[in-house]
Parts: sequence; C-alpha cells; structure tokens
Amino acid sequence: MRLSELVSAMSPTQLTEVALLIFVGVFVAVGVRAWRTVPSERERAARLPLDDGEPTGGRR
Amino acid sequence: MLQLLDAADGRLVGEEDAALAVAKDELVQAVDDGDAVWPSLNLAPYFTFGRLRPLHTNAVIFAFAGNGMFAAIYYSSQRLLKARMFSDLLSNIHFWGWQLIIVAAAVTLPLGFTQGKEYAELEWPIDLAITVVWVVFAVNFFGTLARRRERHLYVALWFYIATIITVAILHIFNNLVIPAGPFKSYSIYAGVQDAFMQWWYGHNAVAFFLTTPFLGLMYYFLPKAADRPVFSYRLSILHFWSLVFLYIWAGPHHLHYTALPAWASTLGMIFSVMLWMPSWGGMINGLLTLRGAWDKVAEDPVLKFFVVAITFYGMSTFEGPMLSVKSVNALSHYTNWNIAHVHGGALGWVGFMVFGMVYWLVPRLYQAPLYSLRLASTHFWISTIGIVLYVVSLWAAGITEGLMWRAFDDTGRLQFPDFVETSVRIAPMYWVRMLGGSLYITGTLIGIYNVYKTWAARPAVYALAEVEVPVPTWRRPRPAASDQRALRPEAEAPAHWHRRWEGLPMVFSVLVGLAVVVASLFEILPTFLIGDNVPRIAAVRPYRPLELYGRDIYIREGCYNCHSQMVRPFVDETVRYGEYSKPGEFVYDHPFQWGSRRIGPDIHREGGKRNHVWHWHHFRDPRATSKGSVMPAYPHLFSDRIDWGEIQDRVDAMAMLGTPYSKAALDDAPGQARAQAEQIAAELAAQGGPTGVADREVIALIAYLQRLGTDITQRAAAEQAAPGGK
Repeated sequence: MRLSELVSAMSPTQLTEVALLIFVGVFVAVGVRAWRTVPSERERAARLPLDDGEPTGGRR
Repeated sequence: MLQLLDAADGRLVGEEDAALAVAKDELVQAVDDGDAVWPSLNLAPYFTFGRLRPLHTNAVIFAFAGNGMFAAIYYSSQRLLKARMFSDLLSNIHFWGWQLIIVAAAVTLPLGFTQGKEYAELEWPIDLAITVVWVVFAVNFFGTLARRRERHLYVALWFYIATIITVAILHIFNNLVIPAGPFKSYSIYAGVQDAFMQWWYGHNAVAFFLTTPFLGLMYYFLPKAADRPVFSYRLSILHFWSLVFLYIWAGPHHLHYTALPAWASTLGMIFSVMLWMPSWGGMINGLLTLRGAWDKVAEDPVLKFFVVAITFYGMSTFEGPMLSVKSVNALSHYTNWNIAHVHGGALGWVGFMVFGMVYWLVPRLYQAPLYSLRLASTHFWISTIGIVLYVVSLWAAGITEGLMWRAFDDTGRLQFPDFVETSVRIAPMYWVRMLGGSLYITGTLIGIYNVYKTWAARPAVYALAEVEVPVPTWRRPRPAASDQRALRPEAEAPAHWHRRWEGLPMVFSVLVGLAVVVASLFEILPTFLIGDNVPRIAAVRPYRPLELYGRDIYIREGCYNCHSQMVRPFVDETVRYGEYSKPGEFVYDHPFQWGSRRIGPDIHREGGKRNHVWHWHHFRDPRATSKGSVMPAYPHLFSDRIDWGEIQDRVDAMAMLGTPYSKAALDDAPGQARAQAEQIAAELAAQGGPTGVADREVIALIAYLQRLGTDITQRAAAEQAAPGGK
C-alpha cells in the first residue's frame, strides 16, 4: 500500500487521534523518566552551570 | 588533569553584534512606525513600509535574536561541555558568514528582492548561504559535543540541539523554490499548501529560533547570575520534551477561518492551548530559581533584565494560546493585537534575555567592572516603560479595529463601511507606539554606551584563567563483561535508559529530529495527499503573463504586509469585501499572498470593483482617492517600464511547477503580455486616463488587481448566460 493510499484511507480525525496517542505515550514516558531520576544525579546535573570554573553572581 | 580554557572563548560570536543589531532593528522599526502614521515618510521605491517591514522582521529574527543566540550557545556550550569549540575556523566562518547574510538582507530587501513569504523573504541565493552557514554551525557544535569532557548534557544543551535540528528542517522545506532569475523564484507549493508550509515554518521559527535557544540561555545564565541551581531539573526535562512535541503542531492557528481545512485549524488550536502547560512550567522554573535571591534582583541589573524577560515569556505564552482560540482569533486576526503579541515576545522576552546576558558577559570577557550600574539600571527602566507603552497601545489599537470592522448599525449595515475610518481612529495609538519604541531604542543606546565604556577600560593584556576540567573517563574502553556491573556508575544502571540517551548526543539528536518530523508529517501530509482538502474549481485559470508579472510587482513591493487576500466566512467580511475565499481559488498562487495583517483592506475580491483610472490615481496619490489612507505613493511604477524580456522566464518557471499554460503562452509570453497591456492602456485612456502608457509597471499591477478573485464570478456569469443557467 502506498503512503498516499494509507493517508487517504484515514480520516483527518483518525490521523489526529493517532498523533495524540503518540504524544501522550511520549509524554508519559518522559514523565516517568523525570520522576525516576536519582536525586544525587539530578542535583549534580542542575549544578553544572555553577561548576564550570567561572565565577557566579550577577554583579562584578 | 588541568586544561587551560580561554576566558574569552565566548567572544568569538556576537554579543556586541547583537546589541548593534537591536539598535539597527529599532531604527528600522522607528521608520516603520513613522510610515504608518505619516505616509510621506515612505521614500519610494526603497524605503516604503512594504519593503522595510520585511527588513525589520528579518533584522529582529536573524540579526538580533540570531547573534544573541549564537553568543549564548558558543559561550555556555564550551563551559558546560568543558571543551573548546571543535574548530576556530568554523567559528569564524559561522560568524562572518552570518554577518554577510545580514548585510545581504539589508541590501536586497529594500531593493525588492523577496520571496513574498513572511520571515522567509530572503531570495534563494541567500537561502543557500544560510543553509551552508547553518551546516558549518552544526558541525562545529556537534563536533564540540563529541569532544566534550563532561558526560551529562545539561538541559540548556538539549534546547540548543533542538534549535539546530529543527531550524534546519524548517528552513529547507519552506524555502523549496524554482528560480526564475538570479534574485527571483517561485515557491514549489501553491495556495493552501504553501500557506500550510509557511505557517508551519513561521510559527516554529518563533518556537525554535526565538524560544528554545533563549530557554537554553535562561537555564544556563540565570543559575549563574543568581548563584543557585535551577529550581527543578525534573521540571526542565518535562519542559523540554513537552515543548518539542507540542510546538510543531501549533502552526495552523495562524490560519483560522481561512481556506485551510477546518480539522487542521482545530488541531493547531488544541495543541496551542496545550502549550500553556510546559511554557508556564518553564516560567515558574525560572522564577523559582530566584527563591531566596530576590534581594539581589533589586540591585543587580542582570537579574532585573532576566526577571522581566521571564515574566514576558509567561505573558506571551499565555497570550499566544489565547489568541489561538478560534473565537478570540476571529477578532484579533489581521489586527494590531498580533503585533502587540509578537513585540511582547521579541522586545520583552528575547530582548531582555539578551541584555541580561550581555551585562553578565561583558565585565567577564573584558575583565573590567561594568562601567556604570546606574546606566544599566536606567537602560532597564527606560526600555521596560517603552515596552509597556508599545504593547498596551497596540492592544488598544488591535481591539479597536477588530471591533470596528465587525460593527453593524441598527439598520443592519456596516457601521464603519469605509476601511479608512479604522486607520484614522487608531492613529493616536500609533503615536504612543512610536514613543514606546523610541524609549526602547534610547535604552539600547545607553546600553551600547555602557558596554563601550566597559570595553575601553579593559586591561592591556587579558589574564588567562586556569580551570580544572575532568578527565573523560567514561570514554575509556569498556571492561570485560564480568566486571561491567561492578564498575558501572550509578548513572549507567539499566533503569536509566534515558540518562544514557542524554550521554549519546547523536541518539538524542535523532530522537529530537524524529519528534519534529513525525509531528510535521501528521500535520502536513493530509493536506498534500487528500484531494478533498483543496477542491478544484474548474473556472480558476492560471494568471496571464502580464498578470503574473503584475503579481510579481505586488510581491516586490511587499503589498502583503498591509493587505490580506483572504475573505473569511463572516457576515461583516462578506458584506465589506464580497464572497468568502475558497481553497480552490489559490491553486496557481506561488507563493500564496493571504497576508497576516490588515493595515489596509482585504483585496481578494478587488478585481472589477473599480475602473483602471481609479487604480492609476490611487497608486500616484492614495489620499486623492481615499482620504485619510496611510498607503504610500508609488511614483516609480509610473516611470519604470515593464521588462518584457523577463516574462518568458517567469512563465516557464511557473510551467515547471505544473501551471497549465497554453502552448501560445509558452511560445510567446511577452507577446501575450504586450497585447493585454495595450488593451488595458486603451481602456485606461477611454476612462479619461493618460495615453501611451502600456509599457509602465503600473499597468501590469492593474492587470493583476483587476484579475484578483474574479474567476469564480466569471463562472457564475457564464452559467447564468448558458441555456438553462441559474
């Protein structure tokens, strides 16, 4: 089956439903990933801009 | 292991250039503002509003935001990755190549070389140059990723990766054209499909050129300036992936109630509303990063700029989804409300993020204290007041004109039938806008002076900082399988699959690319592949050679910056302009010219409404035919002559795109064009106009305008005339 036939066989509603399912699936996966990060790992990652050898603080 | 990192690495690309770019851009804006309230400021042919407005938008996006973004990426990436840029040569090619592109834009746009698509006006040779320079940038960036000494890719880098990949995709696919000369081309898409591609590009240019890189900037520079880590790294992960997945769908909200299929329009609205969630998540993450540091905000100009920028980010990302709701959009579309919205984002979010970054960088790069905190604070307050005046006046103007366009009186007739009434009513708001813009540019000039004085106080010789960087142990060969589990660091445990992706830039980049491509295909493919989305109308015929040439003049002069060609299916619009526009009417429009703004009225049904001599006088002096009009005069159209030799190339290029021209047109397009020009000139003379003007450009433009939107009425007339007709 050609791509144009496949797309034509689906209604726009079906296409958008499939798209929505893909989005929700990825969003849930990312949410799970974010939730399962190890605190120490997260804290280290968050501190990367502060640990690059440059002085911090807004004024100089 | 000790490595030397040059503290001035980030100086390679653009922070000074960004500041100068905003000054230039604001200057163009000031002239544009003046053009809108004082038409005689339009100095034809090169400095009319229609030609300057694309220069303004391109300067904001590519010169100001572009240089600001590159400065942020070059400076922060090297520090986050603990590695020098992959190649200094590529850095220099990127910097100088980009500045040449900006110069090319500044020269070609006033000359009228344009593709006629908003924010994608630059003609094909410059588009090719952008592609080459962008590839250079990408190679340099990904090469640096490959050589990094820090395994984890900090979230700012994710935003940079998304920017580089997505902008490349957007730029290439929206700018596919057939050249018809050195600086003339036709989009390969037409009508509805071109509109779809354009606003897929246009909206995502906002997303991936004006938003994601500056979020990366925020996630790096805000923690540094506040001296505390980002509030929630978890939230930043959600922020990133949600934006990448949602933004790409939202483009069709720019085309509500147009000839776009309704399902696509609704899809764009829903995903736009969903964007609220991650955008505000990001804003909250930024503001909460300052928890416990708000006392610093009162005295530190860097944090002041960042706080207001993030607040504008929140405001713009609230306003954007609201404007995408169809019922709101019905009022706001084509009005100055949209202009207020984009300036809140460009001046408030992008502008203030860049200013905050510049004030943070300059003392460090030049190893000298900032010349004056007081001047920095003055810059902040003047520009903030400027933005507020700018945005509020345009909100008022937009809502005023939107309500006036749709107002009916007690007798059921349009309350303001003459479009010019709205132009006159909002003129005071344009003056306030001009004042706001002038304040913003004044603040910027103060900032430039402050930067200059700081630079002037730099030491004769820069000190080299010695920085300890980690040895990239994670690149060592893997131990034997039996030893792997014992030696595997925590971050490499099986449960942390995504953590491993983050350490594999290529895999991560491919996933980002997939997210963008899959969403784009779901959105775009149906419009191209399902025939019902653009029903053919048998009566719609290709433009005749002279009309095509006239259409090119319309594009050259940037008429789409003020006039739409899309009558929406609303009573007030059909009463004011005529029959609503149908998708099938635009199948030969390469590119589409629906526009996004009505400084003047819609002209899709202009054909046949007025005689030739009215148009003649209108182009010579718009206020002679429409008192109060803000349209510029176009004297050059009366002196410049039609280049008959170019017409065949243009017809041939359109034929290559599938436009069904007759053999006669393909054999002798100039001859056909001359015949039509002679006919129009004769009719013009018969109507009391001048004689002997068949070779003037204005004749070709009149030919195009008289054709606009008439095909379907000609069919109706033919049906009525036919035996048994309606």
